[in-house]
Amino acid sequence: MANTVMRCEHLWKTYEKHLIAVKDVSMRIEEGDIKLIFGPSGSGKSTFLRCLAMLTIPDKGDIYLREECLTTSGVNLNRARARIGFVFQHIWLFRHLTAQGNVELALRRVLKLHKEEARERALQALREVRMEEWAHHYPAQLSGGQQQRIGIARALARNPDIILLDEPTSALDPELTGEVIDTLRDLAKKGTTMLIVSHEMPFAREIADEMLFYDAGKIVETGPPEQFFTNPQSERAQKFMTRLIKRTRKE
Amino acid sequence: MLGGVSTTLAISIFSLLLGLAVGLPIAFIRTYEKGLRFLVEAFEKIFRGIPEIVLMLIFYWGIGISLPFPFKNAFFTATLVLGLRSAANQSQIFRGAIRGIGDEQMVAARSLGFSRLRSIVHVMIPQVFVFATPGLGSEYALLVKDSTYAFVIGVSELMFNTVTIRKATLDPVTPYLVSAFLYILLTLPIAAWLDNWGSRRKKKLGI
Amino acid sequence: MVDPFPLIFDGFITTVEVSIFGVFAGLALGTVLALGDLYGGRFFSILIRGYVEFFRGSPIIIQLFIFLYVIPTVLNFRIDALAVGFMVFALNSAAYQKGYVKGAVEAIFQDQMMAGLSIGMSRLQTLLHVILPQALRIVIPAWSNEFCSITKSTPALLILGIRDLTAAAMTIVGQTWRVVETYSAIALIYLAWITIVTKIADIVYEKKKIPGIEISA
Repeated sequence: MANTVMRCEHLWKTYEKHLIAVKDVSMRIEEGDIKLIFGPSGSGKSTFLRCLAMLTIPDKGDIYLREECLTTSGVNLNRARARIGFVFQHIWLFRHLTAQGNVELALRRVLKLHKEEARERALQALREVRMEEWAHHYPAQLSGGQQQRIGIARALARNPDIILLDEPTSALDPELTGEVIDTLRDLAKKGTTMLIVSHEMPFAREIADEMLFYDAGKIVETGPPEQFFTNPQSERAQKFMTRLIKRTRKE
Repeated sequence: MLGGVSTTLAISIFSLLLGLAVGLPIAFIRTYEKGLRFLVEAFEKIFRGIPEIVLMLIFYWGIGISLPFPFKNAFFTATLVLGLRSAANQSQIFRGAIRGIGDEQMVAARSLGFSRLRSIVHVMIPQVFVFATPGLGSEYALLVKDSTYAFVIGVSELMFNTVTIRKATLDPVTPYLVSAFLYILLTLPIAAWLDNWGSRRKKKLGI
Repeated sequence: MVDPFPLIFDGFITTVEVSIFGVFAGLALGTVLALGDLYGGRFFSILIRGYVEFFRGSPIIIQLFIFLYVIPTVLNFRIDALAVGFMVFALNSAAYQKGYVKGAVEAIFQDQMMAGLSIGMSRLQTLLHVILPQALRIVIPAWSNEFCSITKSTPALLILGIRDLTAAAMTIVGQTWRVVETYSAIALIYLAWITIVTKIADIVYEKKKIPGIEISA
């Protein structure tokens, strides 16, 4: 039986009384799984992802990273977050550091590696996302797609147990999404455990083991990609998929 | 002490007004008429780059002695110096405001047939004031504080009077604390009120 | 008959010392204040606010007097006038610099903090290694402004009896009665000094600035 990398139980997160971003959500993800969360905007998907990484603290419920419960008090969140890789929609690289610096920072300050070792591993991570040549460039000198690839390298460098990606391509110009998707494809091939929030449907179909439809704070339906593309079970998923396909057909 | 307050207030307000009268036109000249650039830049450099105390000494002892009446009066000289300094600062403030408003307003006014001057007066200036209020608020506060420099040419403003009182009463504590308090009272409420007026107007006009 | 040049030179040095100390000590203290205001909780925020309002709301001359006379009397010890000069200029500048640093930090704070946490750093580490390095560079133009401001206030020192550049000039004028030349000369010295420092600050900013982050003028 595969190892459960992360699971959450009865998770709740509310904003300002009326906006319930996460409504009693429970799910699990096993080692090597690639799961994709999709759904209408504003449904709370990003908030859910951030809760899993404890970047946003949930109101109720439990989150487990392997055997460790992250939601009990007294837990060293920094250490836990060090084992999770997170990729942001708006990238948020450290602007005052070069590409290499961005990836090295966690290696030196969190894992406390020596200069040489950190540099080696950073370059290795950059190699994996094919950004090695640009190691000495600053974020502002690079395109969005290149920056996001560095963001992925930054998340990868610590060899985390899982990588969470929050709409990694949504903020990019269409021509630039391709390079990021290629990178993710490579990672998938290597067996990286990934939980992705995205609406890149063709990509989802290709690499996701399971897709989760998230609407109004809840996971409404789950299943293999094919299910959603041919025969969604729930009404809301059906509506969503029809609208999506109509739009893609128009393009 | 109260005499000092009135002197201080007088200096501050008159210099602010002088600064306004000179600074506002300068700001517009620098934005729309590039001709007098050198002159205006020199003006700004001098009045923003040289300490006010030194300027007052130069104007009072240097120029004032040789020229007839108005300049011999220390109050007048101090106000003049601070006013010109303020003009240099205010021209910056207004230029920022003009930039903030953008080109469109001027262009729109001209397209209706207004001459440059009338466009400025009827369209730009009202808007410029709304944008400039925070800057003006702090400029006013600055003038109140810098009015103390007038002591060096003998004006009996608040600070100078405070020292006199202290020498008379031999009390090293109270006069200073009281006058500090008075200064704070003179600067902060008005600056805050100006700021507030500015943001309310901005909201109202949807800026 | 006093030889003017050493007098002027010494006065100039004093002015330079006070202004440079003021800017840098002000920056250090201002950063501490900004961080205290942002993260210290309500109590500190109120204290810091009081501090800032006092130093920004009252003239520097009054501040000099308070530190020279009031505080020693209340606390019962004497402070040397020059020390008071250094101290007050630093404290005064800190009140202004706190605003600049706080603004710079807030401009970049939200997302950079989340990115820092996401790689496993603690809030403190993120502050030190991510936020401050960026904020301090953003603040450099405000420094040169602040420096001009301080330099132009230094003549206030003469009220404490400190021999700064302006005091030197006044002595010379007292002896030689050459008013216009003396005062114009020191005016030029101030001007030159400010211009040089501003230029240096510009160069430093150019070299250290982070590509892609610019402040709006």
